[in-house]
Amino acid sequence: MTPTLPPPDDKTSDASMSRRNFLRGAAAFGGLTALAASLAPLRQLEDFSSSEEFLQKYYKELTPDDMTKVISRIEREVQKEYGIRPHVRDLKPMDGVEFVYCLNLTRCIGCRKCVHACVNENNQSRNPEIQYIRVLKMPHGSMDVEKGDHTYEAKSVPEKGFFYMPVQCQQCQNPPCVKVCPVNATWQEKDGITVIDYDWCIGCRYCEAACPYWARRFNFTKPEIPKERLNPNMAYLGNRPRKQGVMEKCHFCIQRTRAGKYPACLEVCPVGARKFGNILDPESEVSYIMREKRVFIQLKEEMGTSPRFFYYFDK
Amino acid sequence: MSKNTVTQYWLGALTVVFLGLGGFFIVTSAAHPATGKKIPLVDVKFLDRTASRRTYADLVKAGEDLSDYDCYGCHEKGKPPPIRYDADHKIIVPKEHSDVVMGHGSHDRNNLCYNCHNEQNLLTLQVRDGHEVGFDNIPQLCGSCHGPNLRDWEAGAHGRTSGYWNHSLGAADRLSCANCHNPHAPRIPTRESAPAPHSLHGPAGTTTPHESTH
Amino acid sequence: MITAARNYMIFIRRCTRIAFVGDWRYYAWMGLLTVISLLGLNAYAKQLVHGLIVTGMSDEVSWGVYIANFTFLVGVAAAAVMMVIPVYIYDNEELHDLVIFGELLAVAAIIMCLAFVTVDLGRPDRFWHLIPGIGQLNFPRSMLSWDVIVLNGYLLLNVHICGYLLYCRYQNKKPGKWFYIPFVFTAIIWAVSIHTVTAFLYVGLGGRPFWNASIVGPRFLASAFTAGPAIIILALQIIRHYTHYRITDKALLTLRSIVQVSMIINVFLLVCEVFKEFYSGTTHGVSARYLFVGLHGHHALVPWIWTAITLNLVAMVILVLPVSRSLRWLDVACVLSIVGIWIEKGMGLVIPGFIPTPLGAIVEYVPSLNETLVCLGIWAFGLLCYTIFLRMSVPILQGRIAKSNEGQPEIQGDEPETAPVADPLPH
Repeated sequence: MTPTLPPPDDKTSDASMSRRNFLRGAAAFGGLTALAASLAPLRQLEDFSSSEEFLQKYYKELTPDDMTKVISRIEREVQKEYGIRPHVRDLKPMDGVEFVYCLNLTRCIGCRKCVHACVNENNQSRNPEIQYIRVLKMPHGSMDVEKGDHTYEAKSVPEKGFFYMPVQCQQCQNPPCVKVCPVNATWQEKDGITVIDYDWCIGCRYCEAACPYWARRFNFTKPEIPKERLNPNMAYLGNRPRKQGVMEKCHFCIQRTRAGKYPACLEVCPVGARKFGNILDPESEVSYIMREKRVFIQLKEEMGTSPRFFYYFDK
Repeated sequence: MSKNTVTQYWLGALTVVFLGLGGFFIVTSAAHPATGKKIPLVDVKFLDRTASRRTYADLVKAGEDLSDYDCYGCHEKGKPPPIRYDADHKIIVPKEHSDVVMGHGSHDRNNLCYNCHNEQNLLTLQVRDGHEVGFDNIPQLCGSCHGPNLRDWEAGAHGRTSGYWNHSLGAADRLSCANCHNPHAPRIPTRESAPAPHSLHGPAGTTTPHESTH
Repeated sequence: MITAARNYMIFIRRCTRIAFVGDWRYYAWMGLLTVISLLGLNAYAKQLVHGLIVTGMSDEVSWGVYIANFTFLVGVAAAAVMMVIPVYIYDNEELHDLVIFGELLAVAAIIMCLAFVTVDLGRPDRFWHLIPGIGQLNFPRSMLSWDVIVLNGYLLLNVHICGYLLYCRYQNKKPGKWFYIPFVFTAIIWAVSIHTVTAFLYVGLGGRPFWNASIVGPRFLASAFTAGPAIIILALQIIRHYTHYRITDKALLTLRSIVQVSMIINVFLLVCEVFKEFYSGTTHGVSARYLFVGLHGHHALVPWIWTAITLNLVAMVILVLPVSRSLRWLDVACVLSIVGIWIEKGMGLVIPGFIPTPLGAIVEYVPSLNETLVCLGIWAFGLLCYTIFLRMSVPILQGRIAKSNEGQPEIQGDEPETAPVADPLPH
């Protein structure tokens, strides 16, 4: 099996030895030059991470003082980028509040206004496009999402023979996305909202693979938000502009709902199909709906995720 | 050629290749490897949150022109206007009221103006049992037939809301029936859908509804 | 203490030196790998600047060839134990001297795995969030945190075992049993765990029925124990060809029987899975239908998976027949299994899990040029590492680099190789 050995080399002269050593050095130098040059695109890296952001502590470990500093850093960065001084707050969950969303499938006409109101409220990237709500046009009689059409466009909706089902983060009581995050960058707050610390996420997209509702979005590049459409009312865990390479998702408009207001998708709905409120308050409209209406659908109930987002019918 | 010389040639060649590669990296360093597509900004009409209709109460509140409600500017008091029907028993809308499109109830069955308007006093409305109701109290009128809807509306479960869910922090702004429904043709009109989503690279992905999954 | 450190530094210096010294074939090979690695590094630099938009991934298919290669290579790394087990448990003489090449392959494979995971991250600058103590490792809830631990642990174990045995050989000392035998046995269990944990990464996702099947774990192991030893069979023959290191045919044939049995199990498990997905006809089989026959006019993966299945079946037939006792046929079978399993486990497992999305949309995935360059770069870098490991370890095992010849003229690289030496690892 052993191949025949090549004949022994000529006796190597000193001159040729040193020439070879020189050439080894030259090749090594060439290699190092190419190595340095291969990193040339990195010169375009703009504000990838300031040292302040790089060293920032985990959200739950930030003291109030730290948070003040973080907020002023974010305000500074937003002003520099968009020329608008935002109002960033770190809104905490309220006591005795647990949010529930109810969506009336009888009413929804599939106009997609909620989709765009959400984008506008939550400073999502317009290019490439990030949207938290996906409206499915479904043939009458089926709840099989695979039969849904995501890209319908019509001069007149609703179209005959179809119903429309908007899907967004279901704010699960048992969220699979939270369980899988390797760095605890996403968690469920006590008012039921699953939030993301955009400054802690490492962008592995495991949560995106884990979500049975396809509710999570990734910033594949630097988000693009036109200055004139920037919403300056911001929250740390909410709609402040995101960075390239991190996850985001619907957070029930934390910057509005934790200040007592309705979410943006609800306010824009022309048919009142969307209902939101505190399920712990028996007087709230969602408590009323849960009491009075008959059929609720928790999407993919068999997943055991227990969504706080209920689909219902009223006729 | 001795093996040593061959090695030297290879080392020399490698140096040249490495330097060439370095040059290539520098030259192409500014190129963007992904060609982005341009997505137009969504038309602001799709972001509009105002109610689709304005009610009598809205006009009063805004202090605007109420001449449309000045019925006795044309009609004569104490003399209810007659209602005429065509051969199909459809109401003939007089040309003075050409803005009214009749379409309340299926099969045009609800086609008597005095089901809601008060024939004795055109400035008010009347519920089914004859009670008089003002133009500013439309839910009571509608609810006299649509009881469950009134109940839902009162609980906040029917109709549009905005403002505050938390009433200790602010008021909820609840729209009235006629803010969304045209009382003469209450079915919500169809509308244009806002633009469909764009996927990152290709079409956003759609499955055509198919007869069976199996 | 100081002398020990000094001696170790001399050892490291001589090892480093030999990595840069060789004949023209060595330089040509290393030059090629360096060029491809740098092309990959350059592509990665672009990805860092512009984001993962330069890949073919999207919100619909959010993992692609990076994770596919990662999954395949975890299997390769785990398979190194398939040489260790016969040696340490059954005391197989033929494989004894070769174990270290398998373990070095495991080290190279883990390096590639870590590289593939890193390039897949949106924010690699925040890797420190994973470090317990200063970061927030979500252990034990997240399977990814398990993976971080087992992969790095496996890397350390193998680096320790290889490094310790080589240094002992360099000093011509008998290795102290307590310094490596416990680690070897830990590594055996650990190897099974790295692959099981990687399988659980997918299996644990209830929202993805294609992955949420308990057979994925066993399939991972079966395919790993096919592809891993197949790679080692090829690598050993290359080592034998270029270094005249003593590797017997009998050793290769022992590995053959491992590949043979694993491939049969692998194909059997595939049949089990295909039956379940198609016969029951539930909506959960939709990803499998996309993979094997296409869905609503989308069939990007269909040619790939049928190629993979054909390659696996042909490889299995060759392996089962006595003809594969001839090395030529064995090599063919090995190449076919490696390619077949790479497709089946990479593109065939990762991509269809995303198609259709949980909301039923079908968006197909094609890797971009930039993404492909990054992958090739990592593969080239891994091969570069493995070549360097072999370049260092073979002369040490042959006694050509040893403590006894410190200070004597060093190997220049293109002098003729010494005739085959029989110098087994001390044990």
